[in-house]
Amino acid sequence: MGLIEKVPANIERLPGGGVITTSLEWVMNETRASSLWYMLFGLACCAIEMMAAGASRYDFDRFGMMFRASPRQADLMFVAGTVTHKMSKRVKILYEQMAEPRYVIAMGGCACSGGPFYYDCYSVLKGIDKVIPVDVYIPGCPPRPESLMEGCLKLQEKIRKEKISDWASDKKLA
Amino acid sequence: MTKDEIISKLQDKFGSDLEVQQLNQPEPFVYIFKEKYHQFCEFIKKEPDLDFDYLVILCGVHFPESRFEIVLCLSSHEKHHNLIAKVKLDKDNPEIETITDIWQGANWHERETMELFGIKFLNHPDPRPLLLYDDWDYGYPMRKGWTGPDFIPMPDK
Repeated sequence: MGLIEKVPANIERLPGGGVITTSLEWVMNETRASSLWYMLFGLACCAIEMMAAGASRYDFDRFGMMFRASPRQADLMFVAGTVTHKMSKRVKILYEQMAEPRYVIAMGGCACSGGPFYYDCYSVLKGIDKVIPVDVYIPGCPPRPESLMEGCLKLQEKIRKEKISDWASDKKLA
Repeated sequence: MTKDEIISKLQDKFGSDLEVQQLNQPEPFVYIFKEKYHQFCEFIKKEPDLDFDYLVILCGVHFPESRFEIVLCLSSHEKHHNLIAKVKLDKDNPEIETITDIWQGANWHERETMELFGIKFLNHPDPRPLLLYDDWDYGYPMRKGWTGPDFIPMPDK
């Protein structure tokens, strides 16, 4: 079993048996962190970088990340692009349709804070965190696929630190 | 047709109702009086030498001291020439005839201009709002000096 060699601190080997003991918290966090299926959902030019990150050159599959075309099958939402006031209601509905545990990455300046549309703009929401909770912010206009990967790795770190006692409550991310 | 040929052709037809803007640009820029606007548009579309069959864009401009303007960029697929036509509108009550019956493509441009500038297009076939969200109730955002919810003006202005 290759997994036991990889994580000896977390899984105990029992002599002669097919039974292992480990913590539920570690197993759940590890499985959640290593299969973050993200929603195929792009709003502006950041979505092009997201597509590049998902395609073969940068290859998100090696982190266990695949896109799903439905919010009901997705764990992670990249808010990739400019969110207008008109679109923000739709983004919120999509977020609410995702099953828990659900995570959000705000990708690019527009989704973090309004970006280039911060001043003198009547139509753009000044940051997606006014509408839905955000786990990781990635600056850039647009961020390169490497930045997006770094953000995903940060999110994985965050998921691995979750406590079992927080699952039922709102403060799932300690 | 060259720039000068287009201008002289239009001046022959409209005379003093037309005002040519002398700019160092490859296209002719003309102001047409509001009363002759619809007739002007019909003429430049149907006249075989001009043949402006394509309305590239129709948009509004706000000059807060004096007036509104609408600007039409026109092009011809056959003749490969362009024209910029402008109309000056009243400051307090901007309204003008629709040209959707001449170029179908004007429909959404006029709806957008109606919504963002508050310029009224008379006899428009479908004068619903186009772009802003459904419960928008904050006026016309492209007018100068407009403020609304979540609007942050540029600090050095």
